[in-house]
Amino acid sequence: MSTQKLFKFDTEVTPDNLEDVMQQAITLELATIPTYLSTYYSINRAQDQDQLYAKLHNQLSASGKRNKEDIDKLAQELKLDILVYSNKSAALTMSVVIEEMLHLALSCNVKQAVCQVAPDLMSIGKILRFPTQLDGHEPEFTINAAKLSLNQLTTFLQIESPQPFVDPNTILLRQAKVEYHTIGLLYEKIMKCISDNFPGPYKKRPQLLPPETGSGPRPFYSQNSMNTVHYDRDHNPHFANENDSGELVGVYDSQSAIEALHFIVEQGEGSTTKQNEKPQHTLKWGPDKMPIPMNIIVDENNVPKAEFWEGDYEDEGKELAHFAKFLEAYSLGRYYENKFKDIEGLDDFYSYFVYNQASNPTQADYENPNGGNIALALANKLGSAVFAYILLMIETCYYEEEDTQYDLFMFGIHKSMIWLLSETGNHINSYTYTKDNKEYNGALSFEPFSFEKSSLRPKEQILAILDELGKADHYWKDWGDNYFPSLPDVGTDHSIIKNVPDVPSTPFTH
Amino acid sequence: MSSELESKELHVCMGLNSCKNSGYSGKNDCAGLGDCATAVNHPCHTLNSCKGQGACGIFGTTEEFCHPGENDCRYQGSCGVPILNSRFIAQGPNKGRSVWLLARARFEQKRDANKENYGEAPLPFGPTEDYVNKLRGTTGQNYSSCSQSGSRACSYSNDKALRAVEKDARVLNMNLKSKALMPDTLSTCPPKNEK
Repeated sequence: MSTQKLFKFDTEVTPDNLEDVMQQAITLELATIPTYLSTYYSINRAQDQDQLYAKLHNQLSASGKRNKEDIDKLAQELKLDILVYSNKSAALTMSVVIEEMLHLALSCNVKQAVCQVAPDLMSIGKILRFPTQLDGHEPEFTINAAKLSLNQLTTFLQIESPQPFVDPNTILLRQAKVEYHTIGLLYEKIMKCISDNFPGPYKKRPQLLPPETGSGPRPFYSQNSMNTVHYDRDHNPHFANENDSGELVGVYDSQSAIEALHFIVEQGEGSTTKQNEKPQHTLKWGPDKMPIPMNIIVDENNVPKAEFWEGDYEDEGKELAHFAKFLEAYSLGRYYENKFKDIEGLDDFYSYFVYNQASNPTQADYENPNGGNIALALANKLGSAVFAYILLMIETCYYEEEDTQYDLFMFGIHKSMIWLLSETGNHINSYTYTKDNKEYNGALSFEPFSFEKSSLRPKEQILAILDELGKADHYWKDWGDNYFPSLPDVGTDHSIIKNVPDVPSTPFTH
Repeated sequence: MSSELESKELHVCMGLNSCKNSGYSGKNDCAGLGDCATAVNHPCHTLNSCKGQGACGIFGTTEEFCHPGENDCRYQGSCGVPILNSRFIAQGPNKGRSVWLLARARFEQKRDANKENYGEAPLPFGPTEDYVNKLRGTTGQNYSSCSQSGSRACSYSNDKALRAVEKDARVLNMNLKSKALMPDTLSTCPPKNEK
C-alpha cells in the first residue's frame, strides 16, 4: 500500500511561508491523534479476569510438566502481567492523545494570532489517510493506523523522538533536501522565525484560552480523565498525566507564542534548553533493528519496572514526556513478550488483550461484497463522520467568540470525544470481516469524510448514517437516547443553527 | 421534561436531598436522609437532562470536579449519576479522593449557610452498587458510569471471596482518607458563589 504524504515542506521557515509552515505544524499535530487513537481502541483494557485466568491455566496445564500449585501461582502472575500492562499501555496512550489535542489547539492559537489566519482543519481531514508519513522528516518513516504491538510502539517512538535518528529499516531514498530531523527541531525553526519577525502585539482573534480569574468558564482542556487512570497489581489507581502538565496558552505576542510552542516540544520530547544537560533516553537501535529498550528491574515478586532518567521528564514537573511514556510501554511489552515466549503453551503476549485488527483498514474493505460487513461499514462511516465533525467544531471555535466556543465544547466536542467516537471506536471491534482469506475484527479507518458531498447539513448526515446503522444492527437503534440529536448543528461554512438551550448563570449571551 | 422531573426535587445521589420524602424511594424523614438519586439516570459527561443533575469525577475539568451536582443547566453536568461510594476524582489537586463525600460536604455547606437542618446519610460514604441494585429492584446492573479503564472497585485476587473483601477494604480506605482530607479538598474548591 502506498503512503499518503501529508504535506510538502519548504526548506526554511521565513516570514513569507510562516502561514504555510504553521498549517503544516497543525497537520502534524492532528495526524498523531487518529494514529494514537487507532492503537488505543485496539486494546481490551478491562477484560474478564476469571476468563483470562482460566485460559492461562488451561494452557499451562496442557504440557503436563507443572504441578497444580505451580500452575495456580503462575497463571495468577501472568494474568496480572496482562491486566496491568494492557490497562497501563492504554492509559499512557490516551494520556498522549489528550496532550496531542492540546498541542493541536496550541498550534492553532499560534497560527490564528501570529499569522492572523484561522486554522484549516477540514482540509487536513480531507487528505489524511493511512498509511501516512511526516514529509520533510528525515528519515521518512511509515505511520500506520494499527493495533498495539512493538512495531507500532516503534513508530510512536519515531514520531516523538527527542533526537535525530537513522531508521535502520529505511533505505535512504529521499531526493529532497533535509528539512528537519525531529518535530522539536521543526518547532525551533518556527520559534526563531516568530522571535525575529513577529514581535506582536497581535490583533485579537478568537482562540481557545485557558481559565483565568474573572473570565467566564473555559472548560476546554483537562489533563486527566478516568481513561488516563490505570491500576497496579494491587488495584490502586494511578494517573498518567500530572495536574499541571501543560495548559492552553493565549497567544498575544512573540513571548506567548514561543511559550505555547515550547509546551508542545517539552511534552512531546522532554528535552528543552534547560534539560539538555540531564541524561535522557533517546531512540537507539539494536542489532535486531528494533529500539533498544530501557533497563527493566525485576523485583522479588517478579514484577518488572522501567528505570527512568532525569531528562525523561518535562522541565519542571514530574510528568514523563510522550517519548518516555511510549518507551516504557515498548520496554515492558518487550520484556513480557520474551517472558511469554519462554513459557511453553502460551500465546503471543499481545494476543491476550489486543484485538485482531488489520493495519490501515479501509471503508472499501468493509463494503466489499466478498468478505465485507454492512453493519461494520456503516459503523466505520459513522466513526469517520464523527471524527470529521469534531474537526469542524474545533475549527468553528476559531471563528466564534467565547460563548459559542463554550457551547460547542460542552454540547459537542466533549460528548463527541468521550462518548460518540469512543463508543464507535470500541464497539466496532465486535464486527468481523474477511480480507485476503483472513478474518479480522473491525477498526476505525479514520478516512476522510466529506460533508460537501451531500446537500444536508453535517449533523443531518450523521443522524442519517446512525439511522441506517440502526436498521443494520439493532444495537444502535436506541443507542444513546438523545446523544446524537443533542449535538450542536454546525455547517461547513461555520454557521450554527441554534438548537441547544441557553446556559443560565454565565456571563454569556447567545 | 417528563412529569416525574417536574414533580420531584432532583439530586444526584444518596444523602443529597433537601426535603422529607425526596429521596429515590420517597420514604425519608428529612433532608440528607434520601436513599438514592432522583436525577434521571445518565451515564456520562454532558448527558444530564437538567440543572443539578450532573455528577462528577470521571470526565471534566479540575473546576467541574469541585462541584458535583451543581451544574447550572442541561448538558452541563460533568459525569453520570448515581455517585457510587467507589468513585474517585480523576483530575486536579483532589485526584483519587471520593466524589460522594465532596458532594455531601457541599450539601452540608449550603444547609449550614442557610441554617437548615439535615440528617445523616443512610450510608456514611455513599451507596454501593449492590445497594443501588437492591433499592431499584435490579440485578447486577452496572451503575458505575462511563470509562474504559475498568472497575473502580475491584481486586485482582483469584479467590472471589477474598476479592470481595479486598475490594471493600480498598474503597473504605479511599473513603477514610478522603474524609480526613476533606478540609484540604474544600480549600482547593471554593463554592461557586465565592468566585
